[in-house]
Amino acid sequence: MSAQALQFGGSLLAILALAWLAHRLGLGGDARIRDEAHLRELAEEALCGFEPVAVAIDRAGFAALARDGAGRIMLLRRHGAHFASRLLDSHANARLDRNLLVVGSADKRFGEVTLDLGNDAQAWAASLRRL
Amino acid sequence: MPDFSPTDYAVPGFVLLVLIEMVWARRLRREAYEPRDTLTSLAFGLGSTVAGLLTGGVFLALFLWAWQFRLFDIGWQWWAWPVCFVLDDLAYYWIHRFGHRVRWFWASHVNHHSSQHYNLSTALRQTWTGFLTLGFAFKLPLVLLGFHPVMIAIVGGFNLIYQFWIHTEAIGRMPRWFEAVMNTPSHHRVHHATNPRYLDRNYAGVFIVWDKWFGTFEPEVDDERIRYGIVKQLGSFNLLHAVFHEWIGIAQDVRRAPWRHKLSYLIREPGWSHDGSRETSGMIRARWEARRKSVAGENPIAEPREAA
Repeated sequence: MSAQALQFGGSLLAILALAWLAHRLGLGGDARIRDEAHLRELAEEALCGFEPVAVAIDRAGFAALARDGAGRIMLLRRHGAHFASRLLDSHANARLDRNLLVVGSADKRFGEVTLDLGNDAQAWAASLRRL
Repeated sequence: MPDFSPTDYAVPGFVLLVLIEMVWARRLRREAYEPRDTLTSLAFGLGSTVAGLLTGGVFLALFLWAWQFRLFDIGWQWWAWPVCFVLDDLAYYWIHRFGHRVRWFWASHVNHHSSQHYNLSTALRQTWTGFLTLGFAFKLPLVLLGFHPVMIAIVGGFNLIYQFWIHTEAIGRMPRWFEAVMNTPSHHRVHHATNPRYLDRNYAGVFIVWDKWFGTFEPEVDDERIRYGIVKQLGSFNLLHAVFHEWIGIAQDVRRAPWRHKLSYLIREPGWSHDGSRETSGMIRARWEARRKSVAGENPIAEPREAA
């Protein structure tokens, strides 16, 4: 039993060391949504056939909102070196603070996302409230 | 009866190869690793070994009990090892296929797929809840044929070791003859992809021939960027959420569903819903196929491979 506890402790130290090393090596990159074309690509990857007709990209490129022709709204945000998304529904919540729009989906684990949308924030807040 | 666990000896090699791949990533593809993702994947690996220690003995005891009903006395002859290895890999193929096609099995196996990265640390992202599925039942025929349970456990360990090195983007393609027979990084990248073209393909462990024989093989194409993970990406590095999210999802669905549909949320494919509000991999692929044909119809040179 003590040998197994020792093995567990050693393994735990090893995985912490590997994760620390990955951090020290600067791995992970700096994922940002570069432009609308990039956002369209990400939206299509997240949901096959999702073709945005209106988009709003956070000024830093960390997150975005996209609406398709069917009126569905997708929230995308950075997750590590990649992006994750959720379709928003009536359970979504949105708070507006000047140019900042804070959006939460029905999936609480996904967390709230703060987007700096400049002058577009108000219009998007209104469209989210209509969901 | 040998008392030997090959995976115990392989662990230092795993660590060394992860280190080498990290150096490769730093030089060529920094986004191939993400420190929090790596930590989650490796914690999965550590937790799965603990779960294996706690539950492995029960399955070995069950197999030893079943072994008394064996049809043949195969024993420990040299030829029994390669035969057992091949048959164990065939059993693995079916365990793995069920792991993707039955939500109860998927709830456990999804852990291995929930990273959006594909690197050697992903290989160690193993489930903690495998004992809750019936995967062991697929290996019972080997026991009843007469292969000793310890032999099955050892060849299963070698199978697992083989599958480690194929979890990488650092290797493009292996020689043609090797790609034809063996599971390779290229074939297994397809398996971890969420691109509609690749969903639920290439279940092989060691020999890719099973997929070719059972109609689930899909080759990797060079002009389509692979996206890894699951259809609905977790969006979280929380380890416990990553371990249990699908089990929780099943429990919620079963609780909410009408009585006649409750069982289906356990045994139907992931993504199935009684009201059609979600999509299975088959539905996603069908939608993608329809769009592809529609685009090809509008632009005959859009998909030159299909036109040839």
